[in-house]
Amino acid sequence: MGVALTEAEGASLISLEGAIDIARAVELRTVLVAALKEGRQLRVCLDEAAELDVTAFQLLWAAGREAAQKSIDFALAGPLPEPVRNALADMGFDESAFPESFLQLAGREEQAES
Amino acid sequence: MSQSVVSHAEQFKKSFREEAREILAELESALLALNDDRGNAEVVGGIFRGLHTIKGSGAMFGFERIAAFTHDLETAFDTVRSGRTEVTPELIDLSLAALDQIKTLLHEDASDADPADTAAGASILERVRRLAGIEKEPEAAPKTAPVDGGAALHRGPVRNWRIRFAPGPDLMRCGANPSLLLRELRGLGSLSVKASLDAVPSLGELDPERCYVAWEMLLAADTDRDTIRDVFIFVEDACQLSIEPAGDPALAAAETAPLCQADVAARALQEKRVASPGRRSYDKPDNASSLRVPAAKLDQFVDLVGELVTVQARLSELAARRDDSEVVAVSEEVERLTAALRESSMNIRMMPVRGTFEKFRRLVHDLARDLNKNVELTIEGADTELDKTVIEQLGDPLMHLIRNSMDHGIEPADLRLASGKPPAATIHLSARHSGASVLVAVEDDGRGIDSEAVRRRAVERGLIATDARLTEREIYALLFQPGFSTAQQVTDVSGRGVGMDVVRQRVESLRGAVEVASRPGQGTSVTLRLPLTMAIIDGLLVAVGDACFVLPMASTLECIELTREDIARANGKHIANLRGELVPYIRLREHFRMPSSPPEIEQIMLVETSEGRFGFVVDQVLGNCQTVIKSLGRFYRQVQIASGATILGNGAVALILDPDRVVQEAVRTGRQGDLRPLGAHSERPENNNAFQSPSGQRQRRPERRREFANQ
Repeated sequence: MGVALTEAEGASLISLEGAIDIARAVELRTVLVAALKEGRQLRVCLDEAAELDVTAFQLLWAAGREAAQKSIDFALAGPLPEPVRNALADMGFDESAFPESFLQLAGREEQAES
Repeated sequence: MSQSVVSHAEQFKKSFREEAREILAELESALLALNDDRGNAEVVGGIFRGLHTIKGSGAMFGFERIAAFTHDLETAFDTVRSGRTEVTPELIDLSLAALDQIKTLLHEDASDADPADTAAGASILERVRRLAGIEKEPEAAPKTAPVDGGAALHRGPVRNWRIRFAPGPDLMRCGANPSLLLRELRGLGSLSVKASLDAVPSLGELDPERCYVAWEMLLAADTDRDTIRDVFIFVEDACQLSIEPAGDPALAAAETAPLCQADVAARALQEKRVASPGRRSYDKPDNASSLRVPAAKLDQFVDLVGELVTVQARLSELAARRDDSEVVAVSEEVERLTAALRESSMNIRMMPVRGTFEKFRRLVHDLARDLNKNVELTIEGADTELDKTVIEQLGDPLMHLIRNSMDHGIEPADLRLASGKPPAATIHLSARHSGASVLVAVEDDGRGIDSEAVRRRAVERGLIATDARLTEREIYALLFQPGFSTAQQVTDVSGRGVGMDVVRQRVESLRGAVEVASRPGQGTSVTLRLPLTMAIIDGLLVAVGDACFVLPMASTLECIELTREDIARANGKHIANLRGELVPYIRLREHFRMPSSPPEIEQIMLVETSEGRFGFVVDQVLGNCQTVIKSLGRFYRQVQIASGATILGNGAVALILDPDRVVQEAVRTGRQGDLRPLGAHSERPENNNAFQSPSGQRQRRPERRREFANQ
C-alpha cells in the first residue's frame, strides 16, 4: 500500500495504492520529482487507489504541468477509477482544468481503446 | 505522515473537543429551556443547528462515531421542527442522555470504545428513533448525509450564496479535509463548485502538505449565512472565507457558467480579496476577536508577573535607599507599569460564573425527576467574574449544596401545598460582588434547617454537651463537622454526611468562608464568600517590632493613633473611640506574643471582618503593596490566621493575615480581654442579631447575617 516507482522498457511507472492523502504527500512528491528528473515516459497507475485527496491531486496536476513544459509523455496507465473520478468532480476539478495533464491523455487513451 | 502533520492534527482534534464541549453545554441549556417552553421554535432550531455542527465537524476531524451517533438525534430534531414529533419529557431526557454519550465519545478513540458505552448509546438512539418515528438507516449510508433531502437546516425561500474558500497554509496539517467541507455544504442545498489551481507552485517549490487549491462555490439553499459559516466553524481561523448573497439566481448561475475555468475562478477570488476587507483571514490575526490559550500558559504568565512584582518591590526598596532622583523616577515608572501589568494579567484570569452555574440546570432537572419533586432553578448574576482557579474549585461545593437543598431542604409537593406554599419549589443560585469578594449563594424555599434536630444529633454524637447553650449560628456551624448528617434516610443524593465539611474545606482552601442562614418553614441560604483572585492582591504593609504583616487592602478601613492616654482612658479595656463609636481592638504584639516593647504612639488599623469592625494595633503602617500570595508550606497549614505569605522588597517574608481568623482566634482565646464594643453592652439581651461566642462573650452580629431574614 502506498506509492511505488518502477522502471520497465525505458518508461517509469508510479503505482498508487490505497488512500493517497496528506499522509503520503511527501512520498508522492519525492517520487514524482525523481521520475520527472529521469525524463522518460511516465505512467501513473491508479487501479488500486482507493481515494485521492486534494494534496494528491495538486501534486499530480503540478507534475503534469512540469511534464508538459519538459515535453515528457505523462499519462495514466489505465482508465481513471470511478471513485477517483467522482472525487475530482466533487472537489470541483474538471478535465479542462488539466489541459496538458495525464487526465486528458488518459481520457484520450480510453477513447482510443474503445 | 510527518511529525508536524500529526501534531497539528492532534492540536486540531483537541480544539474540536474543546469547541464541542462548549456546544454540548449550550445544547444542554437549550434542551432544559425547551423543557420549560416546549413550543419555542427558535430553541428547537438552535438545538438542530448545534447538533448539525457537531455532526459535520466531527466527521471532518475523524470523529466518525460522534458524527454517526449525532445524525439520528439531529434527524429527530428535524421532525420536531417540522411538527411531526412532539417535545415530551421523555424526548428531553433521552436527548440529554445522548449528549452525555457524545461527551463520552469525545474522550474515546475508536479503537478503545467501551462496549457498554456502545450498547448504551445504541439503546438511546433506538428510543430516540422510536419517539421520532425515524427508520434506522442502513450501515452503509453516508454518515454525514443531508437530512431531509439535503435542505434541512432552514425552511424558507431558497437563496443563492456565493462562497469563496481558500485554505490557509496549515489547514491540511490540522487534520481538516476540504472535500468533507464541500460535502457538508452539499448537505445544505444545491452546490456548484469550481476549483482554482492557479496558486499551485512548481513541484520543486510545492509544500506537499499544504493545500494550494481555492474554491468558488454557488449554493442554492433555504439557509442563512450563520448556518453556512457553521460548516467552517473549526477552520475559520485557518482559511480565507467569504459568504455573500449571490443575488438573482439566473444571473448568479450565468456568472458561474464557464465551469471549472481555473483562471476565471482565480481572477474572481483575486478581485474578491481586494474588495472585501471585512473577510476573516488566517493571515490577519488582528481580525480575530478572541484567542484560545492553554490554561497552563496563562498560569505561567501570571507566575512570571508575580515574580516581577516581587523584583519590582526590591527595586523600589533599593531606590528609596539611594538619594538619586533618576533612579527613583525609573523605579516609580516600573512600579506603575508593573501594577498595570498585574491588573491586566489578573483580568485575563477572570471568567464569568455563567458556565459553572448553567451546568446545574441539568443537575436540578435530573434530581427533580429522580426525587419526584418540582423544582425550578433561577440564576442571578451569572456574568459576575471570578479568578479561574476559584471557578474551577467552585463546582463541587455548589453541587453538594444543591443536592442537599433538593434532597433535604425542599419538601414533597403535597407537604408544600399543605403548608401554603406553591407546589413548585425554587432554588436560587446567585453571585454578586461585595468589596474584594464575590458572594455566591444557594437559596431554597424549602423547610429550612431544624435547629433542634441538629442540636440533638450533635449531642448524640458527643459533639456538644447536653446542656450546651448554642446560638443558631453555632448550631449551623455543626453542619460542617465531618460526617454530620441529620437525614433520617441515606439516599443516593445525600444524607451520608459527606459534603458539607468538604464544602467548608474547599471554600476555606480558596481563602473564602461559608455562611448559613435559615428560617424554619421558609428556606435556607448558604453563602460562599470567595476572594476575587488567588494570585496577587493589594495589601497594606504594617510593622510590629521587627516583623511585617500584610493586611488585605479590601478589609482595611482607616488608621487612627493610639496613645498611652487613650489606653488609660479606656481603663485597660481594648476599646478605641472612633468619632463616638466604640471599636474593640486586638494588639498584634500581644496576640503573637512578641517580646519587643511598643512605641509611645501606636497605630490602630481598622478592619472590616465577618465579626464586625475591629482594630489591629501595630507599630507602624508602612503603606500599600502589591502582594504576591505564596502558599505556606505543609508544616504551616494549620496556621489559620494567615492566608499565605509574601516576599518583601528587602527579601524578608511577611505573613498575609486573614482578619476574620485573627479576630475569631482572639475572641476564642480571650487573651485580649473583653473585646466587645462598649455600646453593645446595653443592647437587648435576647436580641436575635447578637450571638454568643464559644468563650461566652457577646458580640455584635454583622448586618450581613440578617440578609436572609430580610428577604
